[in-house]
Amino acid sequence: MPSETTTRRRFLLAAITTSTAMSCGFNLGVIRSGVAWAETSPDMSSASIKSLIHMARSLFPHAGLADDVYAEIVDGMLSASANDPTLDSVLRQAVNALDAASDKDFFDLSEVTQLQVMNSLSESEFFQAIVNQVRLRLYSHPKLWAVIGYPGSSVEYGGYLERGFNDIDWLPEDA
Amino acid sequence: MMARKFSLDDSSVVVVIGSGAGGGTVANELAQKGIDVVCLEAGKRLSLADVVNDPAAMDAKMGWHDPREGTGVWLCKTVGGTTMRWAGITPRFQAHELKALSTYGQLDDTNLIDWPLSLQELEPYYDKAEFKMGVSGSRGIPPSAETNAYKLLKAGAKKLGYKEYTSARTAINPVARHGRPGCRQIGFCFSGCAIGAKWSTLYTEIPRAEATEHFELRTESMVVKLKHTDDGSVSGVVYADAQGQLHEQKARAVCVAGNVVETTRLLLNSASSLFPDGLANSSGQLGRNYMRHMTFSSLAIMPGEVNFHRGTRQSGLMFDEQYHRPERGFAGGYLIETAGVDPSTLAAAVGGWGASAAEYLDNYTRMGGVWVTGEDPPQTSNRIELHDTKRDQHGLPVPVLNYSFHENSMAMFEHGKKQCEALLESLDGRRPVSTLGVGGGCHNMGVARMSDKPRDGVTNRWGQTHDVKNLFVSDGSVFSTSAAANPTLTIVALAIRQAEHIADRMTRREL
Repeated sequence: MPSETTTRRRFLLAAITTSTAMSCGFNLGVIRSGVAWAETSPDMSSASIKSLIHMARSLFPHAGLADDVYAEIVDGMLSASANDPTLDSVLRQAVNALDAASDKDFFDLSEVTQLQVMNSLSESEFFQAIVNQVRLRLYSHPKLWAVIGYPGSSVEYGGYLERGFNDIDWLPEDA
Repeated sequence: MMARKFSLDDSSVVVVIGSGAGGGTVANELAQKGIDVVCLEAGKRLSLADVVNDPAAMDAKMGWHDPREGTGVWLCKTVGGTTMRWAGITPRFQAHELKALSTYGQLDDTNLIDWPLSLQELEPYYDKAEFKMGVSGSRGIPPSAETNAYKLLKAGAKKLGYKEYTSARTAINPVARHGRPGCRQIGFCFSGCAIGAKWSTLYTEIPRAEATEHFELRTESMVVKLKHTDDGSVSGVVYADAQGQLHEQKARAVCVAGNVVETTRLLLNSASSLFPDGLANSSGQLGRNYMRHMTFSSLAIMPGEVNFHRGTRQSGLMFDEQYHRPERGFAGGYLIETAGVDPSTLAAAVGGWGASAAEYLDNYTRMGGVWVTGEDPPQTSNRIELHDTKRDQHGLPVPVLNYSFHENSMAMFEHGKKQCEALLESLDGRRPVSTLGVGGGCHNMGVARMSDKPRDGVTNRWGQTHDVKNLFVSDGSVFSTSAAANPTLTIVALAIRQAEHIADRMTRREL
């Protein structure tokens, strides 16, 4: 007979993979630690995690970026929060505020309404903390780099000495 | 490498605390003169093979992460200190900047003084420092190659009528020299140069000192206290090794070069019944007049690709605004330098959130930018002190950094922002943003400043403390005022000069 934890894990995985992952192409490995976190946090539902993922995307919406990257960012925050009481509190405040904003789940709201909710929260400290967290994690992510054209490490290619460090070609002729 | 070992009770050695720009240089200069030196470095010794193009990984390897309160700083705990992280830009001070009080007059809420030495006295040491570091465009060394970021700066400068810009004056080899290779334009200068083209004491001063056999480097050796004799001379230093075990190294003289935060903390933590307010602090100025420069970046989306991540992080600079022209509404001046940042740094600088922020950052390859460093007047309220209750892993009070901008710096920022945004807009840059941080916290100066009068500062014109004759300060702590220039070249020049002075005093048996 499966333990209660196993049952809960199955339930959450099912909930996320059917409702969110199917539509957004989430990768199961990414979700797993979020689930583990939810298991130790009975007050945090899979819906809450989904709302955080939607929030992350709305904070920095890059058309060229797959949804699973935003899920990975949220997953990273959730994992880090296990050893970071401040971050844990910030995430809980965010989830509570997103939930309280409407009768519906935040992730079920229209994009416009989601933005209205986020704007109404944007002055609060926890919101700023999440913005900073998502920003740092997202813009340090190689998949985001690929979208905006930043190649990361260059030493293994011999730097840019023969690869365009001085190839700017649109400056005025007299310059 | 033949490593000389000195015994703990050898009181003939000069102990140098820190192995960065100041400590590494003064230690090597002394060793070259045949003076025995023990250099105590809190961090580990990396090799070039440890350097990877990953800022977070490198920060974990070489950053200083012990607890600190207050305004943030971005410093290193590693052999080489912040010469591992610095950009390599090496402007000299201008003559008027060493005469701040005489030139600017009294400014409200500042503690301005003149330096107790002139540019003329400093010039021969600038020459030596530039030769040692291999500053591009000096002494037959070619200027650095013009990167995309520099070409952008130059083009904008011409549009605005600026005249004094250069891709020279960086301590990054344009071509191989003195056993180090030419720059490969790798672009991760702030995370350690993977090939050693950028000057760092890790692979210049330190191995050269070791080759003299008058030098011993002890790594993971965190100095916790300076000891003194009853008559007030320093007699030795107590340090914790990697296991936390305490040792006392006897010393003939001590040079402190822990970068301003740790230099302040060590001297304050060395208080005794003879020196109740901290060692060498009879003036009460120790830890005060903490300066960081007025620094900001201006960024804009340019009409074509810039790719400012390609090549040296800072590859040129402009002097036109460095002069003192009070008609601009502030005292002192600033330098405009090239900028290039990785996406997470750019995102933090741009700030905000939502579709507009994301769209901005989608233009990463077309971002153009400049970075500014300007003079920051000394204020007694800008101060590093000890925490009342909080202790670090060694049981030492943690440092508390109190810093706020003077209104002169705010006026300078407003002027600089206008100029820098105009520069980017002159090349059809759009959506310019300028971000005044409280500095990156990489330029740290003051706290043990040189002064002619003992009541005005902590050290004299040689960086020797007014109160303790065999105690010297050998880092940016001795700056009487900040000037506009990036500080490393001046730290190195002062360290060379100080080593000459110490050797001379020893020859005359005055130390």
